[in-house]
Amino acid sequence: MDTLNELANGFASALTWQNLIFAFLGCLLGTIIGVLPGIGPVAGVALLIPLTMNLDATGAIIMLCAIFYGTAYGGTITSVLLNTPGEAASAITTIDGYAMTKIGKAGAALTIAAVGSFVGGTIATLGLVAAAKPLGELGLLVGPPEFFALMVVGISLLVALAGKSMVKALISGALGLLISMVGIDPVAGAPRFTFGSDNLLDGVSFVAVIVGVFGLSEILSYRKDSKAAAVHAPGLRSLLPTGTEWRRSAPSMARGTGIGFGLGLIPGMTGSVSSLLAYGAEKKFSKHRNELGKGAIEGVAGPETANNAHANAALIPLFTLGIPASPTIAVLMGAFLQQGLTPGPTLFTEHSEIAWAIIASLFIGNLLLLLLNVPLVGLWTSILRVPASILTALILLFMVIGAYTINFNVFDVFVMIGFGLLGLALRHLDIPLAPMVLTLVLGPLMERSLRESLEISQGDFGIFVNRPISMVLIGVGVLIILSPLLKLRKPKALNEDPET
Amino acid sequence: MTRTRIAAAFAAAALIGLTGCGANAGAANNAGDDFPRKGKSIELIVSFSSGGAVDTAARLVQPILEKELGTNVEVINKPGAGGQIGYTQLTSAKADGYTIGATGSPSVVVSPLDPARGAKYTRESFQPLGRQVIDPTVIAVQPDSPYKTLKDLLDAAKADPKSMTASTTGLQTGEHFAMAQLQETTGAEFAPVHFSEGAAQATTAFLGKHVDILVANVSDVTDLSKQGKARVLGVMTAERAPSLPDVPTFKESGYDIEAGTVRGYSAPAGLPDAVATKLEAAFQKAIEDPTVVKKMEDLGLQTSYLSGKEYQEFWASQEEDFKKVLPLVQKTD
Amino acid sequence: MTTESVMTEPQRTRVAPTVLAGIGAFVVVGVYVLISSIDLGLWTSSGPGPGMFPFAMGGLLVAMSAIWLVQELRQPTETASGVDRGLVIAVVVSLALLAAVMDLIGFQLSMFIFLMYHLKIRGRRGWVSSLIIALAGSVGAFYAFNYGLNVALPTAGITVLNSIGL
Repeated sequence: MDTLNELANGFASALTWQNLIFAFLGCLLGTIIGVLPGIGPVAGVALLIPLTMNLDATGAIIMLCAIFYGTAYGGTITSVLLNTPGEAASAITTIDGYAMTKIGKAGAALTIAAVGSFVGGTIATLGLVAAAKPLGELGLLVGPPEFFALMVVGISLLVALAGKSMVKALISGALGLLISMVGIDPVAGAPRFTFGSDNLLDGVSFVAVIVGVFGLSEILSYRKDSKAAAVHAPGLRSLLPTGTEWRRSAPSMARGTGIGFGLGLIPGMTGSVSSLLAYGAEKKFSKHRNELGKGAIEGVAGPETANNAHANAALIPLFTLGIPASPTIAVLMGAFLQQGLTPGPTLFTEHSEIAWAIIASLFIGNLLLLLLNVPLVGLWTSILRVPASILTALILLFMVIGAYTINFNVFDVFVMIGFGLLGLALRHLDIPLAPMVLTLVLGPLMERSLRESLEISQGDFGIFVNRPISMVLIGVGVLIILSPLLKLRKPKALNEDPET
Repeated sequence: MTRTRIAAAFAAAALIGLTGCGANAGAANNAGDDFPRKGKSIELIVSFSSGGAVDTAARLVQPILEKELGTNVEVINKPGAGGQIGYTQLTSAKADGYTIGATGSPSVVVSPLDPARGAKYTRESFQPLGRQVIDPTVIAVQPDSPYKTLKDLLDAAKADPKSMTASTTGLQTGEHFAMAQLQETTGAEFAPVHFSEGAAQATTAFLGKHVDILVANVSDVTDLSKQGKARVLGVMTAERAPSLPDVPTFKESGYDIEAGTVRGYSAPAGLPDAVATKLEAAFQKAIEDPTVVKKMEDLGLQTSYLSGKEYQEFWASQEEDFKKVLPLVQKTD
Repeated sequence: MTTESVMTEPQRTRVAPTVLAGIGAFVVVGVYVLISSIDLGLWTSSGPGPGMFPFAMGGLLVAMSAIWLVQELRQPTETASGVDRGLVIAVVVSLALLAAVMDLIGFQLSMFIFLMYHLKIRGRRGWVSSLIIALAGSVGAFYAFNYGLNVALPTAGITVLNSIGL
C-alpha cells in the first residue's frame, strides 16, 4: 500500500492552509478566466504564471493546476446562462444548457454541471493515482533516445489533429521550436539567434510569447460586429435539481467520464472533442434522446462531465511521461520547468513529495470547485455585465504587469507585443497556434535528448531504431504523420473542433 | 450607472485581493544598511537541476540563511549549458544582494575562457561570498560490469578507445576535465555524453544503463555505492574519501590525477559593502553550522569553508591551472 | 486534411496577397535560419553541434512553405475575414508607447495615461468611472504589487517625478 501511503502524505501537505488558499485562489481565478469570453485558458494560465513565481514549487503548481481545471468549469456558466461559451470545450453545452435556462431550470443545469465536473474530475484523478506508480517505475527504461521518441509521438499527434492542414501545423511547430532555440545553447553554451541582444541570452520568455500569441492576439482580432452578449438575469428558481433529473443524469455522467477519460489520455485531443463526442453519445444512447436540444439534462451532464474528466485525465501523460496533451497543459508544463521540476517518470523518483501533494490537491480542488461554483453563480454573471471596454483595459493592464514581472524588464513587454502581432498574422493565415505552444515548451527538452542520444551513439542516428522502445515510438510517430497519405480519416468531430 | 460601479468595485476588489492586505512600511533605498528588507525574498540561483549535489547543498544552507538574514531565501534552479545559463542570469542580476547563486568550479572559472561559448560574464563578474566544499571526482561502472579495478577499466578503454560512454554534467565541467586529464595521462579514452542539466540527469541515465560509466562526484555516488547500484573504481584525491573507505585513490592505483568540483556561493559583482558583509557572515554561519556539516558528511563531503576573499584567490589559482588544460576539452569543428 | 478544404470551394480564384506575404516571410526566416545554423556548426568533434537542430527546423519551415505555396497555386483558400485595423493600431501603438516610457516616467503615471486612453477616449466611458478604474489600475496596482506582493513595478527614472513618489 505504498501508493496510499504517499497519497496520504500528499494530502497532509496539500491540506496546509497556504496550499488550501492557493488551490482556492486557483479555482476562483480559473473560473473567472473561464467566464470571461476574451481570454482563453492558454493565455489565462500563462498570464498568471508570473504571479506564482514567488511561491514555492508545490504552492505554485497547485495554484496553476487549479486555474487549469477551474477554466474547464467556468466556461460552462456562460454557456448555460448566456448561450455564449466562455471557452470552446463548453460550446456544445449551450444547446441544452441555454434551453434549460429559457424554461427556468438554469439552477438545476449548473448544479448538475458542477456535480458532473466533480465526478469526472475525481475519477480521472483516481486514474492518475493508479497510473503514477507503474508508469513511474518505467522511468529508468526511458533514456535520452526514448525520451526523444516520446516527444516525437506527442508532437506528431498534435500536428495531425490540429486544424485542417498538416502543412500549416508543421509550420507552426517549426516556428515554436525555432523560438525556443533563441538564447544560450543548452549544451555547448554558444549564443544562438540573439542578434547581439543581451536580453535574448536567456531566451525569449515563454510567458511573454504565450500571453502575446494567445492573449493579446485575441484582443487584437476582436471585430466590431462581434456584439457583446446581452445578459439577462437568469431565473435561478432553484439550484437543486429534481429527483428525476438526478436519475437521468447519472448514466450520462458515467458515459461522459468514460469518454473524457479515454480521450484525455491521448495527446493532441482537446477538451472540445470529448464534449462533442459525449453529446453525440447522449444522442445515440440516452433514453430521452428525443428531448435533446429542448433542454434535456443529459445534454448538460454528459458533455460537462466529459470536459472535466478530460482536463484531469490529460494530466496523466504529463505527470507520468512528461508529454503535454494540449496547449494549456503545455503552458502548465512550462510552469513546472520554471519551478525546476521536470514532469515525467523522474518526477516521482526525484520529487515524489511534491508530485503527490499536487495529486492530492487535485481531489481537493475538484471539491472546492463544486462548493465554490454553485453558490457564486450570481457573482460570475455580474462579471459579465462589466462593459467590454473596461474588461479590455483591465486585461491589457494584467498582460503588461505579467510580462514586465517575468524579468522586471520592459523588454518582455515588447516581446509580448511582437508576438501578439505574430499571433494575429497566424490567425489570419489560418495557421493553428497549438503546435507552436507545444514545441515551444518541448523544444529544449527535445534538442537536449536528441544531442545526448547522438553522443551516446557517437553520431549514429540508428540509435533511435536500434532500441526497441524508441523504435516502436518513432514508428508510431511516423505512422501518424503519414496517416493522411494512407487515407486514414479522422472522426468528423475533430474537424468541428473549434479550439484548433 | 450601476454597471460601471460594479466594474469599478470589481477592479478594486481584485487589487485588494491580490495584495493580501499586507502593506509593509519602510522602503528606503540606502546603500544596503537596511538589507535585507523585511518580507523581500532573496533568490538563490542554482545553475543545475534539482536533485544534484549543488542543489542539495544549497537547500541545506537555505534555512540557516533565512534565520541569519531574517527573510525568505528561495532556491531557484536554472539548469543548462553546464551551468552557463544560471551564471549568466546571476551575473546580469542587480547587485543588491537579493540575487545570489551557487557557483561551482571549474565550470564558473572556465566557461568565460572559451570564446566558442560566448559567455557574457568573466570571473570578475562574480563577487564570491564563501566556499563550502570540495567534492572529489570519482569514476564508477555498472554493478554487473566485467571491470573490477580501475586498471582493468582503463586498459580496456586504452585498447579500444571510445568504446564506452561516460557521463559528464556538461561540456567543460569538472567531470569533462577529469576525463581529459585521464586521457592525457593514461591514454584511456571514453566517449563523453554531456548531461548539461546536472548530476541528477547523468545519474538517472547511468542507472537506466544508458551510459556505461558514471564520472561524477563523491556525493553523487555515496548512496549508489551503498545500495550496490554502482561500483566505484577510483576517487581522484590524495587520500581516500571517508564515505567510500574501500575505494582506492587514483594515486594508489598508479595514476597521478587529482580532480574535483569545488562549490561555494557568490553574488553579482558590485555589492554594497554592508550587504556583502551581511551575506558573507550569514554564509559562514550556514556553512559551518553543525547540522549542515553533519548532513554534508552523510553525503560523503568534508566541509572546507573559505571566506569570500580566499575563495576569490582560490579561483584565480584554479584559472591558471585550467587555462593549460582547456584545449583538451575544447570542441573542434 | 488538405483534401477537405478542396471540397468546400470548387471555383478558382487568385492566391490572396496576405497568404503570399506570409509564405514569403516564412521562407525568408527559414533561409536565414539555415544560413546562420551552418555558421553555428552542424557537427563538432564532440557530436552534434549547436546548429544542427535549428538547421533541421529551418529546412522544415522552407519545405513546408514550398508545399503550401504549391497547394495555394493549385487551389487558393479563402483567408479569414479582415481585422479591425483601427483597433490593432490603437492597442499596439499604445502598448508600445507605454512600454517605452514606463522606465522613464514610472509605472503609475504611464499606466494611468494608458488606461485613461483606453477607457475615456477609446471606450467612451464616463469621467468618474474612468478615473476610478485608471487610478486603481495604476496607483492602486503599484502599491498592491510593491508592498503586498513584494513585486517591484518600475518607478520614474526622471528625478523630479521620482521624488514626488512616482
